[in-house]
Amino acid sequence: MSDRLSATLSALADPTRRAILARLVQGQATVNELAEPFEISLPAVSRHLKVLESAGLISRGREAQWRPCKLEVQSLRDVDDWLSTYRRFWEESFDRMAAYIGELKAGAGHDRRKKRR
Amino acid sequence: MTAEKRGADNELLIVRTFDAPPAVVFALCSSAEHIKRWMGPKNFTCPHVTIDFRVGGAYRAMIQSAEHGQNWFGSVYREIVQDKRLVFTFAWDNEGPAAGIETLVTITFQERDGKAVQTFHQAPFANVERRDSHMGGWSEAFDKEEAYAEKVAKEHAA
Repeated sequence: MSDRLSATLSALADPTRRAILARLVQGQATVNELAEPFEISLPAVSRHLKVLESAGLISRGREAQWRPCKLEVQSLRDVDDWLSTYRRFWEESFDRMAAYIGELKAGAGHDRRKKRR
Repeated sequence: MTAEKRGADNELLIVRTFDAPPAVVFALCSSAEHIKRWMGPKNFTCPHVTIDFRVGGAYRAMIQSAEHGQNWFGSVYREIVQDKRLVFTFAWDNEGPAAGIETLVTITFQERDGKAVQTFHQAPFANVERRDSHMGGWSEAFDKEEAYAEKVAKEHAA
């Protein structure tokens, strides 16, 4: 699981690959279609597709010539789960920090009152 | 960065305003004794924090709960700007989906009307350099995320 998620995150780390995924959001596409917006060679696009495929982010059709690429949602969902775990961890930590700041302030007020007495 | 509120799909961005000056919030994030008081989700305690508070220095901490037991994490400070900015790597020790995946946390503290605006950002570590140089393209590309979600929903419904 962890290795798979690492591979997914690492695949997502590249802007070209993210742009390719964004294109696939609109539906299946061939290598040529995917390569069109980029100023990079077809082999370079193919290399990106291999990375995305081995990370489970896309799958490719089996037709010999026309191997359309398709978005695989599960891997993105894994990334999302991973993120939500972290989000909960930090959001709730910061809730506690806010409460702690309140305690510190109440404590400081208490100290001042004691000093004035 | 402020324009990048949502962040990307594999990144986390949390902006919070605390009712204290930035220097206080910075101190709460950089002292072991303070961190023990707030680190961890609700129902967790944080009984262990050690910090070597310098660039390249390591930190290590543990949070625990009755339900989830002990969870250790730690890594290294990358950048420290007093009262303004903290950058450190972060990784969980234990098993689970996030184990061993190193992430980079960047926290900045800004003053607004006497309060601290804390901007917290976390992303897979390998990602960072590229992300910083390609922020525009990335965020534009993923403006389409909503459309994507709708499409997925439709596919599932079909």
